[in-house]
Amino acid sequence: MTMSLRTLLGATMLVAAAGSASAQTTITVATVNNGDMIRMQRLMPDFAAKHPDIKVNWVTLEENVLRQRVTTDIASKGGQYDVLTIGNYEVPIWAKQNWLLPLENLGADYDQADLLPQVAAALTVDGKLYAAPFYAESSMLMYRTDLLEKAGLKMPENPDWDFIAEAAEKMTDKAAGVYGICLRGKAGWGENMALITSMNNSMGGAWFDMEWKPEFNGPEWKQTLDTYLKLMNNYGPPGASSNGFNENLALFQTGKCGMWIDATVAASFISDPKESQVADKVGFAPAPIRAGGSNHGNWLWSWNLAIPASSAKQDAAKTFVAWATSPDYTKLVAEKEGIANVPPGTRTSLYENEAYLKAAPFAPMTLKAIQSTNTQKPSDKQVPYTGAQFVAIPEFQAIGTAVGQQFSAALAGRASAEQALAASQTLTSREMTRAGYPK
Amino acid sequence: MAREISTGRKAVITTVAWAVALLIFFPILWTVLTSFKTEGEAVNSHPAFLFFDWTLENYHAVNERSDYLAHFWNSVVISLGSTLAGLIIAVPAAWAMAFVPGKHTKDLLMWMLSTKMLPAVGVLVPLYLLARDTGLLDTRTGLVIVLTMVNLPIIVWMLYTYFKEIPAEILEAARMDGATLSSEILYVLTPMAVPGIASTLLLNVILAWNESFWTLNLSAANAAPLTAFIASYSSPEGLFYAKLSAASTMAIAPILILGWFSQKQLVRGLTFGAVK
Amino acid sequence: MATQASRTAGRLMLSPAVILLLLWMIVPLGMTIYFSFLRFNLLMPGTEAFTGFENYSYFFTDPAFWPALVNTLVLVTGVLAITVGGGIALAVLLDQPMWGQGLVRVLVIAPFFVMPSVSALVWKNMLMNPVNGLFAALARGLGLPPIDFFADIPLASIIVIVAWQWLPFATLILFTAMQSLDREQMEAAEMDGAGPLWRFVHLTLPHLTRAMTVVVLIQTIFLLSVFAEILVTTNGGPGTASTTLTFLVYMQSMLQFDVGLGSAGGIVAVLLANIVAIFLMRMIGKNLEA
Repeated sequence: MTMSLRTLLGATMLVAAAGSASAQTTITVATVNNGDMIRMQRLMPDFAAKHPDIKVNWVTLEENVLRQRVTTDIASKGGQYDVLTIGNYEVPIWAKQNWLLPLENLGADYDQADLLPQVAAALTVDGKLYAAPFYAESSMLMYRTDLLEKAGLKMPENPDWDFIAEAAEKMTDKAAGVYGICLRGKAGWGENMALITSMNNSMGGAWFDMEWKPEFNGPEWKQTLDTYLKLMNNYGPPGASSNGFNENLALFQTGKCGMWIDATVAASFISDPKESQVADKVGFAPAPIRAGGSNHGNWLWSWNLAIPASSAKQDAAKTFVAWATSPDYTKLVAEKEGIANVPPGTRTSLYENEAYLKAAPFAPMTLKAIQSTNTQKPSDKQVPYTGAQFVAIPEFQAIGTAVGQQFSAALAGRASAEQALAASQTLTSREMTRAGYPK
Repeated sequence: MAREISTGRKAVITTVAWAVALLIFFPILWTVLTSFKTEGEAVNSHPAFLFFDWTLENYHAVNERSDYLAHFWNSVVISLGSTLAGLIIAVPAAWAMAFVPGKHTKDLLMWMLSTKMLPAVGVLVPLYLLARDTGLLDTRTGLVIVLTMVNLPIIVWMLYTYFKEIPAEILEAARMDGATLSSEILYVLTPMAVPGIASTLLLNVILAWNESFWTLNLSAANAAPLTAFIASYSSPEGLFYAKLSAASTMAIAPILILGWFSQKQLVRGLTFGAVK
Repeated sequence: MATQASRTAGRLMLSPAVILLLLWMIVPLGMTIYFSFLRFNLLMPGTEAFTGFENYSYFFTDPAFWPALVNTLVLVTGVLAITVGGGIALAVLLDQPMWGQGLVRVLVIAPFFVMPSVSALVWKNMLMNPVNGLFAALARGLGLPPIDFFADIPLASIIVIVAWQWLPFATLILFTAMQSLDREQMEAAEMDGAGPLWRFVHLTLPHLTRAMTVVVLIQTIFLLSVFAEILVTTNGGPGTASTTLTFLVYMQSMLQFDVGLGSAGGIVAVLLANIVAIFLMRMIGKNLEA
């Protein structure tokens, strides 16, 4: 305590000294309000001590608001932010517009070769890295070992959707407030559509055929949506049509879900006894496949730090990005917050670290999930696009969200599966025509 | 003067009124109570009303994460600044409308009010571009200007209705005494209009404090008021009900307290000319 | 009575407000009209081109357009009905002699001070959430299945939230108007044997007409732009069940970043708002003339 106080005092004095000698650079960092980012804000004294000449202002927002704000700003060259937290969906699109600064020479400590190849590939355009991954995730199945045992079942190595349905039925105990399965239902391209698109990939379906015609009238989407609705209507929690990642996390942590298919980052939150009431009873398995299939439809998402090309403080911004995404940051988190809490999914070295593997029993499953993603060929079908749980075109946010609204309405019982699919087909065709596809 | 009323009836009315009032107030009360619970307690399926382990941990967590004072100060500057600027522009305008009415005064008033119907989302991009080009993005000045314009019609209208209630004869008398226009406004009109101006000020500070579209979209770090502060708590990962409650309580407390203390003033003036 | 000099002075004093508001209206409006005729997507710079009325035709044929129009009307009228009705009831109640009237009034007006995003967050998470919310806990306590508010009755839920925020405003204005009610007339009517209902219908209500029109006018202006409450709670869904015009325009300009389409929608919304406005102004104008 006294030690850290002294360090802090020392740092303050340094800052004061530096302030009088050279002007301080202030950078504005826009970020999303999830656990790892909030942890980063807690660790800022370390950055301040190392770089007393840089002051960091935080703008922390909820994901959708953040996306809207940073997109407006970067597209209109508003220049309000020096570091942006963006997803691997935006990075290639924005990089092609020359909106982002290529991240070369992040310093000797950065060790770019250590990045997981699947993650780095999604952030690289023409051989240049345009954003530094902060954490990355794929999808997997998380379940309650105690409930599965009680149901008299054993988790197969590669569960399929039929098994999920059977297990969900047996785990559900509505009187006790336990629902067999929790899945995302909240409309949004990054919410329910991430899950349902992945699910559709596992069923062998795709968003578009090679002529960019939407495929919602095909048998795969029908099967996907029917399976999804059957699971959720029979064994899901009430209010599922407004549940996203956060809502489901809260449900799982309070013991209300038997199974949950979602982002791998959730693993550390549900295994943390401080936050989760079921920490000692969770198991992990790969995302489900279709019976007889082999595609898990794993998604790949990463939150990354990028620097707008319009930023006037690129050097300071680079210093910050390097600090926040280097292996040293991993060490810092391990030291201050425990090794299980380091941002996962970005570096090979983390998954070779014995201490991490010991503290994070879910690590091998996370690594396997990330490694099995294939953003270049997400489906068994030939498709004209890249991206796993999304289609990497600028129009997708809008289309994905509009289709997500339809599926969310179907989940809420306001439309049948057929109606939702027909409406999705119409609106997607309409938007694609407007955008001038096929290009 | 006082109407005869039995104690029994008064007791019944009191009970009903208190029940209704508590019902209306309940969501706020519940938020404040939840802010003192642990996260686990906050989602307890048998929620406790008062008997739980009171804790301040959520307030500590919120303070650790966000710079409440900076947001608070921005809110104060923006809401007060825009209201004062609005008053400076609106007092002469409302005076003119009330005492030198022309043929089109009423149309003018209605037109002013109709500018408030411009849907903000429709003009966000144009205004964003304008703010960028004038260097007003993420500045308190920029937000003061925007909110002044947003609330100006309401200010003009409220003042107009107060000024109209001031009998013209008083002004005539002042003029007879040789008062100039400025002294007429300063010494005769203003004292009479103080209650009206005060309640206009209060209402507009409240409206500006709670305005969450422009304040959120035109600010980033430097000018971000409490509306941006609360936006960062809207759905973080995991359990967050208690922290959300603490942040909510902190965001609404200043204006709630101001409103309560000045409610007599507010009630007195909040007529919009609806009372003859 | 007004002399030429005071007329000129009046114009001078009026002009800053008028000029500023004109600028405030014309500049963004002009830009919006201009954009509405362009193909202009923020995400695809360099593709701007004049497209005539294409944006408008896309906006009107958007499958969400008609539901949004209906939802907007339902939202506005629903909130107005609750707040005016409830406001009158509360004003009459508050006007009765009771113990602790000041405190009761303080409690009743409190929701007006809560920022819209906070009240939406609180209602959504702590009260209406079907698993962890208080209403669900109450329902379970009574042995009933919890209501899934934002899936089953999304628009009604939003109406309740917005009405809760505006009820104090209506109550305040109506209550203030009640204060000027002629008590002697009331007592005279009572002496003549008129029942409380008759007195309410024939004396109280007519007295409150003016205040009611004011409440309707001011609230309509704010209700047409209700936005945060929808964004926080339902995001316009499920489907389009709670998408209003404002929200539709938001989706188009801020989610698709299709500034052209969003601008066209903005112009349509302005036109519709003005139709409502003219209608209201007529009504109010008549009532305010007295």
